[in-house]
Amino acid sequence: MGQITDSGELIQGTLEMLVLKALLRGPLHGYSVAEWIQQTSQQMLKVEEGALYPALHRMELRGLLKSKWGMSDNNRRAKFYELTTEGQKRLNAEAQRWARLSSAVAFVMQAS
Amino acid sequence: MAQNLHEFLLRLKALFLKRRLDRDMADELAFHQAMLQNRLVREGIAQAEADAQTRRAFGNASRWHERLRELWQFRSLENLGRDVNFSVRVLRKSPGFTFVAILTLALGVGANTTVFSMINGLLLRPLPVPESDRLAVLGIEQGGPRANYSFPEPLFRGLEHRHEVFSQVFAFDHADLQVRGNSGTEKVNGQLVSGDFFNALQTAPLLGRTLVPEDDGKGGNPAGFGVVISERFWERWFNRAPNVIGQRLQIDNTALTVVGVMPKGFIGADPLQRPDLFVPLALEPVLDGPNNITAAGIHGWWLNVMGRMQPGATLQQANAQVGSASTAVIHEVVTEPEMMGQFEKRHFHFIAESGSAGFTYLRMMFSRPLGAVFAMCGGILLLACMNLASLLMARGAARQPELATRLALGATRRRLVQQLLVESLLIALMGTVAGLAISPLVSQTLTVMLLGGEGDMQVDTSLDIRVFVFAAIASIVASLLVGLVPALQATSKGLNDQIKSGQHTTQAHERRRVLPRIMMAGEIALALMLVVGAGLLASSLVRLYLSGAGFDPKGLENIALSMDKQPLRGQPLMEYYRELGDRLHRQPTVTSVSFARIVPFTHRVWDEDLSVGDGKTTDTYHNSVGPDYFNTMRIPIVAGRDFNWNDTPSTGLKMIINQAAAKALFQDRSPLGQTVTKHDGKAITQYQVVGVVGDAKYEDLRSPAPPTAYLPMTQDDGDQGPSYIAVVRMTGPPGPLADAARSLATSTAPGIPMPVMTPMSVTIDESLSAERVMALLAVFFAACALIVTAVGLYGTLAYATARRTNEIGIRMALGARRTQVVTMIFLQNASVALVGTSLGLIVALLGSRLLASFLYGTSARDPWVFAGSILSLALIASAASLLPALRSARINPMVAIRCE
Repeated sequence: MGQITDSGELIQGTLEMLVLKALLRGPLHGYSVAEWIQQTSQQMLKVEEGALYPALHRMELRGLLKSKWGMSDNNRRAKFYELTTEGQKRLNAEAQRWARLSSAVAFVMQAS
Repeated sequence: MAQNLHEFLLRLKALFLKRRLDRDMADELAFHQAMLQNRLVREGIAQAEADAQTRRAFGNASRWHERLRELWQFRSLENLGRDVNFSVRVLRKSPGFTFVAILTLALGVGANTTVFSMINGLLLRPLPVPESDRLAVLGIEQGGPRANYSFPEPLFRGLEHRHEVFSQVFAFDHADLQVRGNSGTEKVNGQLVSGDFFNALQTAPLLGRTLVPEDDGKGGNPAGFGVVISERFWERWFNRAPNVIGQRLQIDNTALTVVGVMPKGFIGADPLQRPDLFVPLALEPVLDGPNNITAAGIHGWWLNVMGRMQPGATLQQANAQVGSASTAVIHEVVTEPEMMGQFEKRHFHFIAESGSAGFTYLRMMFSRPLGAVFAMCGGILLLACMNLASLLMARGAARQPELATRLALGATRRRLVQQLLVESLLIALMGTVAGLAISPLVSQTLTVMLLGGEGDMQVDTSLDIRVFVFAAIASIVASLLVGLVPALQATSKGLNDQIKSGQHTTQAHERRRVLPRIMMAGEIALALMLVVGAGLLASSLVRLYLSGAGFDPKGLENIALSMDKQPLRGQPLMEYYRELGDRLHRQPTVTSVSFARIVPFTHRVWDEDLSVGDGKTTDTYHNSVGPDYFNTMRIPIVAGRDFNWNDTPSTGLKMIINQAAAKALFQDRSPLGQTVTKHDGKAITQYQVVGVVGDAKYEDLRSPAPPTAYLPMTQDDGDQGPSYIAVVRMTGPPGPLADAARSLATSTAPGIPMPVMTPMSVTIDESLSAERVMALLAVFFAACALIVTAVGLYGTLAYATARRTNEIGIRMALGARRTQVVTMIFLQNASVALVGTSLGLIVALLGSRLLASFLYGTSARDPWVFAGSILSLALIASAASLLPALRSARINPMVAIRCE
C-alpha cells in the first residue's frame, strides 16, 4: 500500500488512480511514477515500492497499462509504462468518483 | 470479457516466456534500486547507508519476485500441477492399491472399447465412399420373420433401371475366382458387380477406368469383358507395372481385360470383404459355366442389392417407392404363374433401409450376440467402477485424519475434493490408457475367433473417431463415478467431526454409514448376474457339444477340391475321384476315404421335395456321397447296404435315407426296396431306397438331424457341379496328409487350385463361433467379476475392520472371546453379501430371459447354474469377510487400546 506520511493509509484503489494520473503526461518508469507522486503531493504521499510494482503489474495484466523497454535518461535499460485507452477511460471514471467522494466527505466533516 | 481475455493471453505468454519474465522483473527491480541509491547519494548520504536503506525499502528480493510472479500465474493451473504431484506421491505410496485399481479399470474400459470397436466395425462404420449416407440397402419382405436380402437376378434387373428415387441401383456378390498365373492357378477373392456399382460408390480409380453399365451386358464391351483390380492385386500380380491397363487375365478359363485399378481404400459395398477383382455381373454364366446361378432366374436367390438415392430423396420416400414398385417389377419379370401366386399370397414387396455402412450378412448373425456381449461388458465396467469407488471410500475413511488436518490448516473443501478427484482421475487415466492399449490386440483375437470360418473376411476394428469418443465417454463417466462419490463422502463431515476422527465417538457413526454397504451389495448383485449369465451360456455350449453330431468328428479331415473349372465330367470324373481316393487311402495314417458334396455345418444346404406316392411331399435335405462314406463318418448303417462304385447311372437310381427321413416318409413300414419320388417343378425322378442310416446333423449343431437323403456320387447328374470334398478318417497328425493331398492334386489335376484341408472339429468349432465367443467372453467376464468382487470386498472390509481395531480391543478387554469377535465381524460383513446375493438373484431371474434365445437345451432359470453361481459368490464373499474377521481376532487388546 501507498502511505500518507502522517501514517494514514491510502484508500484502497487510490494508488491505482494516482499511477494512472502520473502516466497521463506520457510513458514513465516505475521509479519516476513514485517520484512524481511524491513530489506532486508535496512529499505528503510516499509510494512504497512493495505496493507500487504489484499495482503496476496488475494494471498491465488488466490492460489499463502497457509496457515497453527503453533507455532511461542516464542510459540504463528501464521498463516504461504507458496508458492505454482503457486506462484513460478508467482514470476519468476514477477521478469523477474521487471528486464525488471527497466532496461528500468534506460536506460531512464541515457539518456543524 | 475482453479484459479477461487480455489477462488470459498475457498469462499464457508468461507461462511460455517464464525465464524472460523473471529476468525482466529482476531488471526492473535493479533499475529502481539503482535510481534510489543515486538519489540518496546525491542527497549526501554515505554509500553504505544508502545501500542499507534501499535494502530496507525492498525487503527480501525473492519474496518480491514471488509476489509479482503470482500475479502472472494461472492460479488454478498451478494448483492442479501441485495436486497431480501430490496425488502421484500418494499413489506411489500404496502401489498395491494403485495396481489393482488400474488393472480393474483397464479391464473394464478395455473390454468395453474392444467390443464397441467390433460393433463399430460390423454395424456402424460408414463405407469409405463419398456421401455414404445416401446409400440404401434393398431387401424383400415376404411375410417371414425377417426380411430377405438375397435377390434373384431378374428381380434386380427389374429394379436396376428404375430411377424414381435412386440415381443408381446396383447388385454385388462375393465370388471366388481362379486366376491362372505363371506358377499355377490361384484362388482370388473377387466380386461380381452390376453396371452401376462403381457409379453409385463414386470412387475414382487409381488407373484406367471403372466398370460402367456397358460392361454389364451380354459379351460386355466390344473389346470383351473387362475386370477392375484392386491396388493390392496390382502390386502382387503386376508389381505395380504402369502398363497394366489392357493386359489380359485368365480368370476361370476366360480371358478378361484389365480396365482399371481401384485405390487401397476402396473395399466395395460389403464392409467385411476386401475383393481383389471386380468382374461384371453379366459374366457369371460365362465364369460358372453350366452351374451358373443366373440361369436359375427367379429361383436363384443370391444378389445383394443397394442403391444410391437421388439428391433430396429421403429413405422414407425410397422405401415407399420401392414398396409400391414391387407389383410392377414382379409382373415384369416373373413368367411362372405359380411363382406369381406365391409372391402375391405372401404380400411380396421390396424395402429400403439405411445403407451407409454397406451390407454384410454377418451383421444379421452377429449383431445380437455382440449386443449381449456388450451388455456384459457394460456390467463389468460398472462393477469395476463400483469396486474402485468402494475401495476409494474405504481409503477415504482411513485418511480422515489426514484430511482433517488439511481442513484445519485452512484447505477449503473444494480444494480437497479437487485433490481427491485428481487422484482418482489419475487412476482413471492410467487405467483407460492401459485398457486402450490392450484393446486392439484383444479385438483382433476376437475377430479371428468370430470370423474364423470366413477366412477372407475382416472386420476393421481400428480406432476411429467413434471408438475414441466412446472410450473417452466411458472413461470419463468411469472416473467421475469412481472419484466423485468417495471424494464428497470423505470430506462430507464437519470440521469438528473431522478433528475428532480416530476417536471412538466417530466410529459408531462410521459403522452406520450406508453408502459403502449399498455399493458392496450392488457389487455382489452385479457379479452374481454376470456369473449366472456366463454359467447359462457355458452350459448351453457344453450341451451343444455333448448333443453330438450323429457322426464322429475326431480324426476326420475334409479336403476341398475345386474341380469346377477343369473339363472332366461324368464317368471319367468318377474314375479320377476313385483313383485319388485310392491314393489317399494308401497314405500311412489314413484308415478310410470317401467323398461328399456337402460337409455338415458349412452353411450349405441342398433340399428337395420327396414323396412315396401318397401325395404328401416331405422337404428332405440331400447330399451326394461316395462309397464308404458312412463308415468313414462313423454313421451307423441301420438297414440295407452302402453305396459302391458299381452304382452307375445305368443300374437305376439308388438312395440311402436316414432314420428321420424313413420315419417321415414311411412311418413304420420298412423303406428298403421302396421307391421314392423327387418333384422338381414338373420333372419327376424316382429312386430306390437301398439303405437306412443313423441320423446325422446337417446344417448346424443346434437343430436336430433333419430328414436326409443320400445319393451316390457315382449317379450324380452333374447338376451341382463336379466339385467334391474328400472325407478322410485318419490317425495321427494331419500334416503329412496335407502335403500328400497337395502333391497328389498337382500331379493328377494341375489346373485346379491347391486343395484346402480342414479338420472336421475345426468346422464344428467355426459353425459355433458365435456361441463359443459369447460363452468364452461370458466366462472370462464372470471370472473377472469374481476376482474384482473378491478383491473389492476384501479391500473394503479389511479397511473397515482395521478402523475398528480400537473398539475390538475394548470388547476383548471387557471379556469378549475371540470366537465371539470373529463371529460378530463375520456376520456383519456377511449380511452385506447376503443382501447383495438376494438382490442379484432377483434381477438375474428377471433378466436371464433375455438370454433365452441364445441357449440350447438349457432353461434360462436352470437351477444348477443358479445354485452354482450363488455358491461361488457366497464362497468368495465369505472368504473376503472371514479374513478380516480372523485378523481382528488376533488383536491384542492392550496394544490396540494403547495404540491411540
